[in-house]
Amino acid sequence: MNAPTSRKATPGRLAAIMVTLLILLSPFLWLLQMSFKSNDQILQFPPPLIFTPTLEHYSALWHSAFSASFVNSLLSASFSTALALLLGVPAAYALSRWAGRGKHALSFAILVTRMAPPIAFTIPFFLFYRWIGLLDTITGLVLVYTSFNLPLVIWMMQPFFDTIPVSLEEAALVDGARTRTIFTKIVLPMVTPGIAATAILCFLYAWNDFFFALILTRTNARTAPVAVVNFMNYEGWEWGKIAAGGSLVMAPVLIFSLAVRRYLVSGLTAGAVKG
Amino acid sequence: MKNASRASSLTRRKLLKASAATAALAAFPAPLIAQTKPFAGVTLHGASFQHRFFTLLQKYIPEFEEQTGMKVDLQLSAFPVYNQQANLELSSGGSAYDFVNVTFILAARWVAAGLLADLNEFTGDPNLTPAEWNPKDFVEGAQVPYRDARGGTYGYSWEGGAMLMGLSRMDLMEKKGLKIPKTFAELQQVCAEINGTDGVSGITSFQLHHWNLPPYIQGFGGDIFRKPPGDIMPALNTPETIQGIEFYANLLKNAPKGVLTYTEDQARQSLLTGRSNIFIHSSSWVTPILLSDESKVKETSRVVRSPAGPVHDYPASNSQGLGIPKNAKNKKAAWEFIKWALSPDISMRLVKEHGHSSVCRRSIITSEAYRKLNTVNGQDLGALYLEVLELPAKGENYMAYRTVKEFPIVGDVLNKAFEQVATGQLPAKDAMNAAQDQAIAALRRSGTQL
Repeated sequence: MNAPTSRKATPGRLAAIMVTLLILLSPFLWLLQMSFKSNDQILQFPPPLIFTPTLEHYSALWHSAFSASFVNSLLSASFSTALALLLGVPAAYALSRWAGRGKHALSFAILVTRMAPPIAFTIPFFLFYRWIGLLDTITGLVLVYTSFNLPLVIWMMQPFFDTIPVSLEEAALVDGARTRTIFTKIVLPMVTPGIAATAILCFLYAWNDFFFALILTRTNARTAPVAVVNFMNYEGWEWGKIAAGGSLVMAPVLIFSLAVRRYLVSGLTAGAVKG
Repeated sequence: MKNASRASSLTRRKLLKASAATAALAAFPAPLIAQTKPFAGVTLHGASFQHRFFTLLQKYIPEFEEQTGMKVDLQLSAFPVYNQQANLELSSGGSAYDFVNVTFILAARWVAAGLLADLNEFTGDPNLTPAEWNPKDFVEGAQVPYRDARGGTYGYSWEGGAMLMGLSRMDLMEKKGLKIPKTFAELQQVCAEINGTDGVSGITSFQLHHWNLPPYIQGFGGDIFRKPPGDIMPALNTPETIQGIEFYANLLKNAPKGVLTYTEDQARQSLLTGRSNIFIHSSSWVTPILLSDESKVKETSRVVRSPAGPVHDYPASNSQGLGIPKNAKNKKAAWEFIKWALSPDISMRLVKEHGHSSVCRRSIITSEAYRKLNTVNGQDLGALYLEVLELPAKGENYMAYRTVKEFPIVGDVLNKAFEQVATGQLPAKDAMNAAQDQAIAALRRSGTQL
């Protein structure tokens, strides 16, 4: 009887939650308010908290090369996430169901690619891409992000498949279902939360990447994080555009996360408590 | 009859035109006409960091493309992004770019490593460079970073930066009976007297200490290295260097709170709004107090030479150049572009049509048109700019410390040490002794023979 009472939202608790939220969100809120200030107001001291908001920075961004960079980011992050899932999910399923002796060695080998810092791969990637003509292309970025996301997908999805009883699949087999049907119609719907959580992590990795995009692109495939840095000019930093660009860069991730929020929480925890 | 005659004359005219056209075609067949544009079909790839110069130049590039027949693909990125990408491209022997910006701080490394083509090959050939282009017209001080010991030239400067002093509140200074400081001692005094008056700080600065600090170190007779570019043993703990560090740290006691982390924009804004009285930095950052619409202190401002030290008067200067990578695919076309972009004609048009003043051609800076545009309230900003820009080539090349490839490593150490002194964490002597050891260790780790 006492337990529900103790969880009551008392004013003190609400205040504590609000303060914690405010502290956690303060960098984002600061960035957001900067993006609506004029250049003069941004550098004013003390900084004005009440001001007439302006959309000049967002408008300027949208009419500059930033919009193309934003699209590049969306394309490279979406395609690499899709490709990593397309290849990684069946691989994780196969590894989950495989009972052979090399299973653990193979799983470990897949993870090895994540053991070195990404920076170690940049120069080889740069030289190789230059040689095969993939520098400054979306395809090049998609391949890099996929190669880094693939182990993540396989390792994250495998525990989800492990939790699904093999007897379900056996029953389907007895009913005459083919392996492909079992995988797509029975197993995959049961791991949707896991796929959602994995997709978000893959998307985040590709979306937020700065270093590979910096080294492997020039002007055609430049992504949004690099484009934001592009406002740090020799003749001065364009703070308003940096703030507006930063806020815009957050938007797709925020929208994507909100869209799959229902799956995300269960997805991130479900695989971890396999009995 | 009249109509018949007109019809007949029209026919004759048409016939004559057609004959003339046929004769012209026979005399100059189509391929030959195309060849009058010497670089038809060539696409020139170039890269630089974003700068007003290139933004303006892009407006003229269609004219160049029309003249030569080539297409110019000019890729512009932010300063740190460009440096990272160009450094990697050149260091790995790439040929993606036909021309590049030779960044001042990377010039020595690129020149020493043989990553750039010697432009003397182009300027020395009268077929490639007409006499009126005159390479000697570039201010010598701005060209120093792009030369090697054998006299090779690896870049021609398109932008110069000369350290000047901007004063925003001459009204306050006059009230207090203070004159424009000409020496370090006077500078210290003026900053201390003005600081706090009407809420105005005595001086402002920004976080790039290894740019702001060396003129003080050199002013007291010290340097960053023992004898750059030949002897690059760090000289961070000499008595002169320590004196310079202490002086600048004391000076910043008259600066706004948080000045150690200020960016250039914050410092400029502080000057333009009159919140700080003095800002010593490159001309393009200081002259806006007189020239920019943002300036709220135009009437009470002055721009002058920065104060001289007791031993040397070494205001900092730098330049940015255009060069051709050694492995570029279209070197001749690239030279054609550089020659055009830095020609007296384009330089003068940039000055006259856009007020772009940081050009490096002496004939332009000393021209009447330039002087007219850059004289504000009786202050000849062009003369000040030229005077500072040419100083490193007049006597000792005191800016050599900044062009050696080891400078970024030592500069970082210097930055950290200065912050320790300015925040009172360590006395200058202790901080600089430690910095000297750290700089030597860092250079050795990077493979430098000392």
